[in-house]
Amino acid sequence: MSVSHQPRETERTDFVAVLAKACLVTFLISLGVVVLYPLFWMALNGFKTNAEIFGNPFALPSGFSLANYVSAWNQGIRNYIATSVIVTLGSAVCTVLVSAWTAYGLTRSKLPGKPFFVGIVLGGLMLSPTVAVIPLVRMMQDLGLYNTYWALIILYTAFRIPFTTFLIRAYMLGLPRDLDEAAIMDGASEGQIFWKVTLPLCKPILVSCVILHVLFAWNEYLFAMIFTSGADLQTLPVGLTSIMAKHGTNYAVVFAAMTLSALPIVMTFFAAQRFFIRGLAEGIGK
Amino acid sequence: MATIEIDKVSKIYHGNVPAVSEVDIRIADGEFIVLVGPSGCGKSTLLRMVAGLETISSGTVRIGDRIVNDVEPADRDIAMVFQNYALYPHMTVRENLAYGLKNRRTPKPEIEARVAEAARMLELGPYLDRKPRALSGGQRQRVAMGRAIVRQPSAFLFDEPLSNLDAKLRVSMRGEIKRLQRRVGTTSLYVTHDQLEAMTLADRLVVLNGGRIEQIGRPLDVYHAPASTFVASFIGSPAMNLVQGELHGSKLAIGPALIDLGKAVPTQGAVTVGFRAEDLQAAAPGGTAAEGGSMPLRVDYVEELGSQRLVHGMVGDQAVTVALSSDATLRGEMPVTIPIGRLHFFDAESGRRLPWSSAEPHRTATAPDLLETAR
Repeated sequence: MSVSHQPRETERTDFVAVLAKACLVTFLISLGVVVLYPLFWMALNGFKTNAEIFGNPFALPSGFSLANYVSAWNQGIRNYIATSVIVTLGSAVCTVLVSAWTAYGLTRSKLPGKPFFVGIVLGGLMLSPTVAVIPLVRMMQDLGLYNTYWALIILYTAFRIPFTTFLIRAYMLGLPRDLDEAAIMDGASEGQIFWKVTLPLCKPILVSCVILHVLFAWNEYLFAMIFTSGADLQTLPVGLTSIMAKHGTNYAVVFAAMTLSALPIVMTFFAAQRFFIRGLAEGIGK
Repeated sequence: MATIEIDKVSKIYHGNVPAVSEVDIRIADGEFIVLVGPSGCGKSTLLRMVAGLETISSGTVRIGDRIVNDVEPADRDIAMVFQNYALYPHMTVRENLAYGLKNRRTPKPEIEARVAEAARMLELGPYLDRKPRALSGGQRQRVAMGRAIVRQPSAFLFDEPLSNLDAKLRVSMRGEIKRLQRRVGTTSLYVTHDQLEAMTLADRLVVLNGGRIEQIGRPLDVYHAPASTFVASFIGSPAMNLVQGELHGSKLAIGPALIDLGKAVPTQGAVTVGFRAEDLQAAAPGGTAAEGGSMPLRVDYVEELGSQRLVHGMVGDQAVTVALSSDATLRGEMPVTIPIGRLHFFDAESGRRLPWSSAEPHRTATAPDLLETAR
């Protein structure tokens, strides 16, 4: 009897598995639509006229003219992107290098009281940037760095070091100590071990940290607004608000400007997503 | 090449946990010494102290003419092969081999010549431009050895280099290491927990237990005359049978069996008696051995190994293993005999070997004797 029941049970199990898979795929597709459609809609509206946007907001544009994009580019987006690139790349390099050195020291040195220093570094995660704004403004003014690229590069680096160190440290803890010892036996100095052995092995987590930092620095608004005042030093988020103020009624140009500002970050993410996922999965899991 | 002298070396971790206690070993120039013992016996710690990767709590390590306690690992003129190979995964085989020489600012033509020579010796030529992940376990192990060879150090240190390989590859790599060491003639200190590996590779064995040396000696000396019950049970497969016995004059009682030793043993009363499984023989049905003692064995189960069968059973209430030829006849209860000369006696409490001339057909060597010889 039990033998005759078996095929029916197998069929039922197969049906449940297929149903579960279908639900999962539907859910993932819906999630993809929810995330991608606003971006797609924003990019499409950049090709429309103001009348088209208000008349039929969800329709395709009548033509794919780049006029709005060219207009946005010429009305400041070019400068804002240049500033954002300089600040983002500068702070990303500084953050990742300083954090990697710190993580190396916290995982590899025989420093007495190491847990205490780990606590101090990770304690930085709890520091609210908003609370520190006023003293930071005074400090930057005193140092003559107010309204310069360096103000933002230094601040972004300082506030992202704890989180980046936390990620890189977790990854480094998982790297075999044998490699360091082999390098010591091979006559490598601490600096050589860091640059030639440890850092190349940390590539996945370094890429993840760079992407996370780029996402943060590219979109950061508070510091960018407070520490820069000249139009030539404004980053994209601050610049976009200026454009919106200036072209408050010309939504097509505003949409084009927003699309242009999002484009570099989307491209960066897709180019490096392989490393990003791997680095985070390996780093946080240990 | 150089001698290595380990003189009263101890390692005490924080909280007064001794990992190695007053170890003395003299390694002659070109000698292959194997440190063997169970996990946690301090063998790797001792090796790492020689390498300079662990600080020495007390005692001295001398490589060649100089004391190296405070010398950086890179300046000790030694090379180490690690358990997990420790190959740099982002470098090619060629870069892995050359890395140590580059750090020492060796001229480029010499680096190339030495890498080529090591690659030829280890048959790594076709793999020089591959990354370690594209190599098999055995090839990676050979690269790890190549990295040690190119340095032309005065001593090699091996930290369980074969433990990550499968059984078959381990046997072939064992032979390769032995051949290589003979060829280059470099003093070697090798750590393993595998007694078979230790027996086959070593010029001399150092058996460690609980951070102390149990015995130093040539493999066969250690096998035939273990200095303690620990060594007797650790070296040899199957392990030596160790049973409780009573000595009364020249008579030895093991459970129900009474064996006439022919001459009195200096120690009397309770002792631990040792005998190897392969020294026991099945007595002819209904008969007893022409020479030696006979014991009634109640057979529990049999392990067939092909060339021989291991018979596990009980003599009285004590477990005994007998290695018999594969065509031996087995019965539920059978008498087994042991040549008197193959019996070993150990102190029942301390487990140290007791002198018994008849039981020592091979030259015996205890740790103090061999230390003296080495000096």
